[in-house]
Amino acid sequence: MKWSMKWMKVLLLTVAVLAVAAAGCSGGPSAETGAEQTGGSPQQGSSEGGAESDAEAVTVKFTNFSASGDNEKYLQQMKEAFEKEHSHIKIDIETLPYEGYFTQMQTRVASGTAPDAYELNYENFVSYAKKGVLKDLTEFFDGFDTSVLNSNALEAFAADGKQYGLPASFSNVVLFYNKDLFDQAGAEYPTNDWTWQDVQEAAEKIRALGDQIYGIYQPIQFWEFYKMVRQNGGSLMNEDMTQFTLDTPENIETLEYMVGRVLDTNVMPTEAQMAGMGDWDLFKSGRLGMLVTGIWAFPDFSENIDFQWDIEVEPGNTAKATHFFSNGLVINQNSKVAEAAFEWLKFMSSSKEAAQIRVDAGWELPAINDEDVLESYLQVTPPDNKKAVFESLDYLVTPPVVEQNAEMTDIINLHLEAARDGAITPAEALREAQKALEEKINLQ
Amino acid sequence: MLKRIYQPALFYLAATAIALFVLIPFFWMISTSLKSKGALTAVPIQWIPEEISFEGYRKVFEVFPFGLTILNSAFVSIMTTLVRLMSSAMAAYVFAKMHFKGRNAWFALILATMMIPQQVTFIPLFLVMKQLHLINTFTGLIMPSIFNAFAIFMLVQHMRTVNDAYIDAAAIDGASHATIFFRIMIPLSAPILATLAVITFMEAWNDYLWPLVMLSDQNKMTLPLALSKLSGQYSTDYNTLMAGSLISIVPIVIVFLAAQRHFKVGIQVGGVKG
Amino acid sequence: MQITKRGRLAVILFLLPCLTGLVLFSVIPVLYAFLLSFTDWDGLKPVDLPGGVPSFVGLDNYISILSGEEFWRVLRNTAVYVVLYIPVILIASMSAALLLNRPYRGVGLYRVLFYIPVLTSWVAGSLIFKSLLSPEYGGVNELLGWIGVEGPGWLYDPVWAMPGIVLASIWKDMGFFALIFLGGLQSIDPVYYEAAKIDGANVWQRMKHITLPLLSPVTFFVIVICLIFSFQLFPQVMIMTDGGPHGATQVMVERIYRYSFNYFKMGYASAFSFILFAIIFLFTWLQLKLQKKWVHYDA
Repeated sequence: MKWSMKWMKVLLLTVAVLAVAAAGCSGGPSAETGAEQTGGSPQQGSSEGGAESDAEAVTVKFTNFSASGDNEKYLQQMKEAFEKEHSHIKIDIETLPYEGYFTQMQTRVASGTAPDAYELNYENFVSYAKKGVLKDLTEFFDGFDTSVLNSNALEAFAADGKQYGLPASFSNVVLFYNKDLFDQAGAEYPTNDWTWQDVQEAAEKIRALGDQIYGIYQPIQFWEFYKMVRQNGGSLMNEDMTQFTLDTPENIETLEYMVGRVLDTNVMPTEAQMAGMGDWDLFKSGRLGMLVTGIWAFPDFSENIDFQWDIEVEPGNTAKATHFFSNGLVINQNSKVAEAAFEWLKFMSSSKEAAQIRVDAGWELPAINDEDVLESYLQVTPPDNKKAVFESLDYLVTPPVVEQNAEMTDIINLHLEAARDGAITPAEALREAQKALEEKINLQ
Repeated sequence: MLKRIYQPALFYLAATAIALFVLIPFFWMISTSLKSKGALTAVPIQWIPEEISFEGYRKVFEVFPFGLTILNSAFVSIMTTLVRLMSSAMAAYVFAKMHFKGRNAWFALILATMMIPQQVTFIPLFLVMKQLHLINTFTGLIMPSIFNAFAIFMLVQHMRTVNDAYIDAAAIDGASHATIFFRIMIPLSAPILATLAVITFMEAWNDYLWPLVMLSDQNKMTLPLALSKLSGQYSTDYNTLMAGSLISIVPIVIVFLAAQRHFKVGIQVGGVKG
Repeated sequence: MQITKRGRLAVILFLLPCLTGLVLFSVIPVLYAFLLSFTDWDGLKPVDLPGGVPSFVGLDNYISILSGEEFWRVLRNTAVYVVLYIPVILIASMSAALLLNRPYRGVGLYRVLFYIPVLTSWVAGSLIFKSLLSPEYGGVNELLGWIGVEGPGWLYDPVWAMPGIVLASIWKDMGFFALIFLGGLQSIDPVYYEAAKIDGANVWQRMKHITLPLLSPVTFFVIVICLIFSFQLFPQVMIMTDGGPHGATQVMVERIYRYSFNYFKMGYASAFSFILFAIIFLFTWLQLKLQKKWVHYDA
């Protein structure tokens, strides 16, 4: 008697622990909407969809981050518009936060549970494309007129001669300036043909207005550097992208100019002077004359700024160069419903309806050339000189496409920051960066 | 007699000093959560916001199914805590009080698992979950906590200090291991278990990356996932972030206050020993 | 207690849940990662795609890590953190626990207050300290200014960035370890103190001969845990400095994360992890050896 009691207890205990754990399966607050419906993995879900006897119904699983926050309702509008046109395709949207998005996407891709279609930012796109986990979209291009898309944005999502993604949206970078500070300093407003010299002069005049007032902010990091190097006739790599060319005289001169603004004339605040304050906040507080940043700042600036401000195409030096950021839409190499997924990508990327939804929502810029849609974009002010957004497109440069993209960017940033903080000279920084890149980045 | 006065004075002085060190950042958090977006980086800094704004809190409560995410989080956190406490206490009892072949080797293995950064076992663990068909289930989210080296280690360290005389006496009286475990070890470990419960609950409550990867069904979303959707690719609203963090602390504080009662049990039970 | 025959089944049953978890969710993933550390897997390509099967590269990853400059720099940064953090957290949390163990009014309130940072998530905690440590706008330098000290650049100064991270970590962890110490203090039988008082022992003697020895299993636990966890510091670095300024706070796990999830070099990251494992294991093993000299399990 006693014995069996004892073992019963121990057994019960063990079973209880396992049962408690298993209870999550059926006892969860939202169990009904659980795994059976969406499928253990998104892929299973989609392949089932394709194989069903009702051949009409195809479900495309789509995961994105850029709608998270305020834009989920606009993505929903796009989905509804799309499904109305394509009655046989259902889109299953999953919107995830930007934070951690790429970690989770990598985990899903690596384990073969990636969604049919998903969104990638440019930095990650390059690596995904080069690793061969994305579908080449050119096979679906029959009857698709790519000329409706902005060619630079489209080109950004090509690698090794194949088109691995379509641009969802894009945002380019322009020069923002505070008109009030320019007036106070008695400086002329920037124009389309300004050069670095003009920027420096205006910045110094504005800096002289007060201890807490700065002339310009343009972060010293990879994205600005590769572009400013081009403005000075230099380049980070040779023509056929087989060698790094960081420490050329043009590049050293560029970095010296960038660092000089911080350490010599201090028209741009040091990191300690910024002290964790964001560059947007500095501009919004009215203590910054010029800011080089993306056009995604428009909604925020027009709402939260009470002084006069405007934009202009970014000044160059010996040449003009501007850059942009773009999020791309891609298809999983393993997707069973790639064709339907492509229809959805095409709709989001190039259709007039989707573009109009974007423009109306102020959700970045659609990557299409349609003038009607863009016209309504221009109508919204401030800034008054909104056409500078489009003028900038004439000078777009794209960053070097390297498989070890993030690693290369980090190595360059590490050395640029050392120069920015005055730990080493710009020339030393670029020489060391060149050495580190040759050691760690494989260009073949 | 002077001692009577200066000892408490010293106590309050020291305790208040530490409390200040702890509270100033926390105060800053509350103050940030009550600022409007524009006032976040005003110069000079505002310790107390000039204008109180509930913008951050309003935005948090606008997060779509707020009630559902709280419910999901509570379910996951409570289950995780129960599972971990139960399985760790059972294991700890064995390691602390029974001698068997290979005990030290097993224990060393358990400790060693803490020394591998989770970052590299993340994808392999996900693959295990895929094999077990647990992706997108709460079970998959909770199950890994059935083994936790830290909890076992902490309990073993405590249980080893429990006097063997109790156990031997009970065993002579014919008590089974189950009885000894439930009647002696669990009550004697109440303070440690309470501490562990708080820590585990909090960890599960705040966990981010694992739920993000495991759950693809929006209806299963936990609170931290919902909150982080408020920040985008290009911007972070600090007031919303702090408001969200403060709101998500509330349930943990409730758990802590509930557990607090058990922190003292140790004194009474401990008094028996000797 | 010696184990009996009937006890053997009890051992197995009591360990069953934990060992199942150990094998499924820890041993298998760790072995998997260990195998990967000898390959060039990118951590992205699933095996069912052409070219998805990673190729075996022998010890290449280990050799390349140990012969590179980065590993040693990162190890040094990590060591700086460990050396600054451990003594301070031990002293701070033990002092806090000793205070909380006093029978004064309001001690319960202090206990709750001390514990608040532990209940805060690292994301919020790191952001708070990032703004508090801001050299221009932050509270810390303002407070230092009141006593006439000009504060450093903290997170923007290569020398002071790590101490800044240590400060935040102390804030976050102190209450946690204090509570563990408190649990230990409260299981010390008051009889010992009564006896010592009768013998006329003063505060320091009681501390030295009763409190510290009887607390030693807990202290041992705290030291071992601190060591293991501080070698793996991660979230606070990512949010407060992101490894900067120019690499001064790049630490082991930060690198491991980058290689795994930003640079797509999972094999390399795995090798990095096992080198870190070896280092932590060595220190823990030393602790376990040394514990015989100072840890007392039986009163």
